[in-house]
This record gives sequence, C-alpha cells and structure tokens, in this order.
Amino acid sequence: MTKTKHLVDIRDLCIDFGPVRAVKNANMSIGHGQIMGLVGESGSGKSTLANAIIGLLPHAADITSGTLEFDGQDLRSFAPGQRQDIRGREISYVSQDPMSALNPSLRIGQQMVDIQHWSTESNADKLQRALHALEQVKMPSPQARLDMYPHELSGGQKQRVCIAMAIMARPKLLIADEATTALDATLEVQIVKLLKELQSDIGCAMLFVTHHLTVVEALCDDVTVMYHGDIREMGPVRDVFSNPSDEYTSSLLSCDPARIHEKCKRLPVMSDLSLKTPADPEMDKMRIDKSGGPILSIEGLDVTFTKPRGLVDLVQGRKAERIEAVKDASLDIAPGETVALVGESGSGKSTIARAVFRLVSAESGSVLFEDADLLHATPGQMRAARNRMSMMMQDPIGSLSPRTTVGAAVVEPHIISGNSSGMDLQDEAKRLLELVGLPTDFAGRYPHELSGGQARRVGVARALALNPKLVIADEPTAGLDVSIQGEVFNLLASLRETLQLSILIITHNLHVVRHLADRTVIMYHGRIVESGDTEDIINAPVHDYTKLLLSANLQARF
Amino acid sequence: MIGYAIQRIGVAFMIILLATTTLFIMIQFVPGDPANVMLGPRATPELKEALRERLHLNDSVFVQVYYFFVGVLQGDLGVDLTSNRPVVSILAEQVPYTAMLVLSILLVTLLGIPIGTYAAMHRGGAFDQISGVVAVSLIAVPPIVIGLYLILLFSVQLKWLPAIGAGEGFGGTLKHLILPTLAIGLTWIGYVSRLVRASVIEVLMQNHVKTARAFGIPENRVIRRYVLRVALPATITILGVSIGFILSSAVIVEILFARPGIGKLAYDAVISRNYPVVMGTVLASTVFIVFATTVSDLLNVLLDPRSRDANS
Repeated sequence: MTKTKHLVDIRDLCIDFGPVRAVKNANMSIGHGQIMGLVGESGSGKSTLANAIIGLLPHAADITSGTLEFDGQDLRSFAPGQRQDIRGREISYVSQDPMSALNPSLRIGQQMVDIQHWSTESNADKLQRALHALEQVKMPSPQARLDMYPHELSGGQKQRVCIAMAIMARPKLLIADEATTALDATLEVQIVKLLKELQSDIGCAMLFVTHHLTVVEALCDDVTVMYHGDIREMGPVRDVFSNPSDEYTSSLLSCDPARIHEKCKRLPVMSDLSLKTPADPEMDKMRIDKSGGPILSIEGLDVTFTKPRGLVDLVQGRKAERIEAVKDASLDIAPGETVALVGESGSGKSTIARAVFRLVSAESGSVLFEDADLLHATPGQMRAARNRMSMMMQDPIGSLSPRTTVGAAVVEPHIISGNSSGMDLQDEAKRLLELVGLPTDFAGRYPHELSGGQARRVGVARALALNPKLVIADEPTAGLDVSIQGEVFNLLASLRETLQLSILIITHNLHVVRHLADRTVIMYHGRIVESGDTEDIINAPVHDYTKLLLSANLQARF
Repeated sequence: MIGYAIQRIGVAFMIILLATTTLFIMIQFVPGDPANVMLGPRATPELKEALRERLHLNDSVFVQVYYFFVGVLQGDLGVDLTSNRPVVSILAEQVPYTAMLVLSILLVTLLGIPIGTYAAMHRGGAFDQISGVVAVSLIAVPPIVIGLYLILLFSVQLKWLPAIGAGEGFGGTLKHLILPTLAIGLTWIGYVSRLVRASVIEVLMQNHVKTARAFGIPENRVIRRYVLRVALPATITILGVSIGFILSSAVIVEILFARPGIGKLAYDAVISRNYPVVMGTVLASTVFIVFATTVSDLLNVLLDPRSRDANS
C-alpha cells in the first residue's frame, strides 16, 4: 500500500439520485489527523458525500463518475466484502441522532462487542476493550453501563456510547454526521470538547458534518462549504471564516445570528442580506404597553406528573411516584412584549406552555390571561380564551395532518371556534398565507410538498388565524438552517409590530433570543432561576446555570 | 417483571370468568329444553322436572353460573346429555385433535417470518411482488374454500393424501394433518408474512441499523440481531391473536375433513342443545386463547427491555 499525502482524496465525484445530481464534481481531501468541517444547508449534499465515503449510500443513489480514494485505495473498485473490512475499523461513524443510534433491545455491552466482529479475541477481552473505550469518553460508572439498555441512558450518555464505539478500533477516519445537532447547547460543548481530545489522543482524521458554524470554528482545522451539491469553498477555517472567497460562504456567515453582534430588528437572509436592520430601543419600548396589567400572568405555578400505578402497586398500597415538572413558576407578559423562556430539554419550559392551554393540569398556582383565571375556567370560558391565544407547535410538518391541504389547515381554527359561518374560507386562507409571506397558490399543497421553512410559515399562519393577542411559539427555529431561521425570525418580528402581538418563545437558541426577546426567563430543573431584560441577562448573568448556558451558546469557548 | 406477570395472569383469569359467564347467560335465550333432548319426547313431566332439579335448571342464571364454576374447580364440567359421559373425559379425548391443528401456528411462524423478512430485504423485487400477490390472495380466500380445493387437488385428483378422518399411528396422524393445517395456516402465512414485511421495513429504516452497518457488522447478523430482534414483538402479538382465529377456523375445518376435535364437538353440541358440552368446549377454547395471548404478551415484555421497565 502506498502512503499518500492525503487520507481521503475525492476527485470530480458525482452522485446521482435518479435524474437528480446530489453531488456535482466534488473535490475534497482530508489529511492524516486533520479535522475537516463539512458545512451546508439541509439538502446541500453534505450527508450524501459523507455516506459515499463510508459506503452507505441509499440504494437509489449512484456514484456516476470521479474517484474516491481512502488511504491510497480506490474505494469505488472495492467489492462489498472489502468495504465491510474497512468499516468500523479504519473508518468509523457517529450518527446524527444519538437517541435512535443504538439498538433498543440489546445491552450496551453486547452492541460494543458486536462491532468488534473483526477481532478473534474472546468476548471477555472484547468487553474489556469496550469498558476501556467508555472510560476514554468519560462515561460515569462505565462498568454498570455495559449491562444497561439504551433507554436507561440520557441523550448525552448515548452520544458518549456512540463515540466510544467509533474510537474503539482506533480508526484512521471518524465521520461525525451532525453528531451534536440533537443535543442541548451545554451538552454540545462537552461532546465537542471530548471529540477534540479523543482526536488528538488517537490521531485520527475527522470529517465533521454540520450546519452549525460556531462548532466548526471551535473544532475544525479545515472547512468545506457545500451548496446545492457543489463544493463552493475549501480551506483552513480561519481563512475561510475571516475572508471568504465565495459569495455563498460570505452570505452564510453574515446570516448566522451568532455572528451578528449588535441587536437586530430584522436579520439578513440568504436571498437578501440588506434586510439587516439594527434594533431601535425606542421603538421597542413603544411596542410594549406597560400602562395596563399584563396580558398573561403566571403565579406560583406547580405542575406534577404522577406515574401510573400498576395493579400490583395498587394491591400493595404503594403511592404513585410523583415528578415535579414545574415548581413555583411565575412570569408576566405585557401586551406587545416578547418574552423568551430558555432552558435545556426536560427543564419544564414546554410544560408551562401546556399548562397555560390546560393541556396538562396544574397542581397549584394561577394563570391569568386578560384577567380570566384559566386554571378554573369553565369549558366555555376556556374556549373563548383559546380563541385569543394560540400555540405554534414544535414540529411544523408533524403538527399538520398529512391529508389536509395547507389552505384547509390554516382556516381550521375558524371552523373549530365555530365562527366560520358566512365567512369565505378561501379568501381567509389567502389572507393568512399572504400575511406570512407564502404564495396564495400554496393553499392547494399538502404538508409533504413543503420545505421546513414553509411548513413553519404555515404554522405561523394557523396560529394567527383567529387574530390572537398572545402567541406561544415552541422552538420556532429548531432544526432550521441559519438563513431560514432568519426568515422565521423576521416574520415574527414584523408580525408583532403590525398586529400588536405578545409572544412567548420557548427555545434553547440564545442567538435568536438575543435579537428577538425583550425579556428572558431562564429555567433549570423545573424552576425559574433567573429572569430580566434580555440584555442584562446576557451581559451580567447571575445564576450559575445561566452563565454555563451563555458560555455554551454565545462564545465558542471550547 | 414478576409483578407484571402476576398481574397479566390475574387479568387472564378474569377474562375467562367473564367470557364463560356471558356465554352461560346467552345460552339461556336459545329456545329448546335440554330436558327434552336428554329424555326424549316421550318422557313424563315428572321425569323432566326431576332432571331439571338435578341440573339446577330451575334456579336463576347466576346460581347456575355459581354451580358451574364450583364444578370447574372440582374438575367436573357436568355430564353429556346424550351419552351420559362426563364432559371432562369427552374433552380429554377431543382436545388433542384440535391441539394438533393449532400446531399449524408452527407452519405459520416457520414460513411467514422468513417470507416477510426476505420480501422486506428485497423490497420491490420479484420475490416481494409475487409473495405480496400470493399473500393477499390467501388472505382473501376463506379456509373452507382453500380446504375444498386442497381435497380436490391432493385427495381426489392426485390421491396423495387422505381427505377425511384423523388417521392412526404416528405416520397416519401426520398424513391426515397435512391438508387441514394447510387449510387453516395458508391464510395466516399470508397475514404474518405481510405484517413481518411491514415491521421489518420500518426497522430497516431506523438509525441504529445504519449504525450497525456503518461498523461493518455482517449483513446476516444485522438482520438477525438489529432488525428481527426489534421487529419481533409486533409479530409475536399477531401470532398470539392468530391462535384464536385458527381455533375458530378449526370448527369449519374439522367438519370439512370429518375430523374429531372440539370444533366438531361444539358444533354437534349446539345443534342438539347439549349445554354441558357447549359450556365445556367454550371453556376449553377460551382458556386456550387467553393462554396464547397472555404468553405472547409476556414474551413481548421479555423481549423488549423498554416495555419490561415500563411494566416492572
């Protein structure tokens, strides 16, 4: 085997999905021990390229031309069996979603033994190596984890297991496909730190596929930028990020909210960078009406979930196990104000929103909406309140019925509220679609024909159908590329100016919060630990958790 | 897990109790007097009255249910009204024949799971398409029609296999079993292969299968440990349910193939208002079905660590 300069050498590679060319004449090389970041929007072909290296392209995909060399060997000429030998030994892989990456019905130890199929050692030796790998990824009590099933581990622990599996064979190349995207910001920092340490211990090269530019900056030596199947730019991270030569790269960088330091009223988007407008503090103040009382006032809210008891528990008189999801939460929203509720997954932030809508029942406390006590409202009063406040669901496509057209979905609130008689629903659907900046002919489309950003706009249109005074937006920018994040951001920002909306935004994306929210409330383990003006919280955090969250989110201190 | 098992078995007993009681009550609405059946049309009213007294037929339904279950606990299911033999010993003779038919579940498992898995692995291929058409055709045709054509083909035309009876000795029994089990089983091979195919396709698309492949685990091992192991619980539930349906098909198939068995027994007993035998067969088949579904539920929990934890 000849030792080449580069570990991975891709020349003029084309990958087709039927008539669609997903990767066009790609050229990329990764040196031994080098960390390469692969950046691009969803659908840009970056995962396809990564899958081609490890040989896991879907059946529909074909490599039509070009060369793909790994460590001096032509991977395209390999028989399937030869590829099998490389996988897991010389190239390993950490997948996107740690929650689903492990077999739910095998113990961690069994899975870690399974992937050492290349070794002829005894199972005990293989388990020993697995244990060592778990120690390397700093898994707490590693010995016990070997006997556990994936569902007994937290998301961060599962990702540590996946990384332990990937480094066990000391591979030459580690491919991490969006390995930190599904994690909370604080966890993301830990995992990125860990990857960097392990990479320098083992000396492997790494291909880190992501759309998170801050992570690339913190972790990678080189970066490749992809757009619509084209590789637009490749070079050392420092050069590319400070002085991009390609127009797309520079737009991408200037659209990243994390890179915009001043607070903005409108964020730039890929199609129009000039949209960027700095925030006007005077205007912001005028927007908020502090003369009367708050539109929504939550006082001392407690929400407790009880685990259902089985027959045996009942017979033994065992008390049901109680989990405190929200403890003594209080927050006010003034008319026109935007408040951000920030915390990691499981901190209880969505539970507060659900308690306001009485989707879960609160133990104690009060929720006043326009002075009506929602927790003790009659069904009639509750219906009236629900017409004046609305919720934007977290998963925009999943919350639309796949068999209902967009037009029917956006006017559905009118039908449910019983106010649709005598209304021209088609006109109303057009009005709502125009309001959120979608072409009116979208009314005839079905959810699967929408992109993530378009589905999000439909969600906004549906939330605004009844002219609510308060919108609760659950993770409105989660899973979106930076430029689409900007579009959704701008939409919310302009709507609150024209419609006098109050917005409660639930998120863990502090970059968006920084530009959008007037006030920020930080939640941790079911309690509100800090709240105040967004700027004050970002500039002078008080609580330890807030500091941790900020350092994970705002500066790339990896 | 043990707590959950006890709970499931408790529920199983309640289902048996409820099903039997319901049938006991429903049977009261069927016209016809068992005393007439037993004693014939020329019996004197006094004789009939004495018999009714002995069988508790004059008491309320609930008292009769009470006596029935007291009898069950003592291993006494009453006496066959026509032959005067204890129902328990009649059942003991007949149950094995039906149990043999239910073994067609083995046929279903051994053919249905591999066919479904192979079709899913080569989705859209020739095998998948053909097995799909065949499976749906088998589902659409009732066992009695399949049975008739099997007899026509293998007994009448080819003269390979016997058409009626249960046979004697090991070889004979086996020979007589082939056509009836096929008649019952083919439909379920269709069902199970389709369901296995659907759940295997679902699991194949899951992320952990991609992870397993990315680590170069050999494909047959991936299918065994990373696909089938995860897809199996759904299949076991279906197999558990299918046992109930197979048992009900047994009634038709036993009549068609003139085989002894509780299906045939129940049919004859209903026609002749032979209540103790009706109740005996119902109890036997209910116990059997509830046993099968309970076992499949418990197996499921045992195989899936997530539900094991949720239920412990």
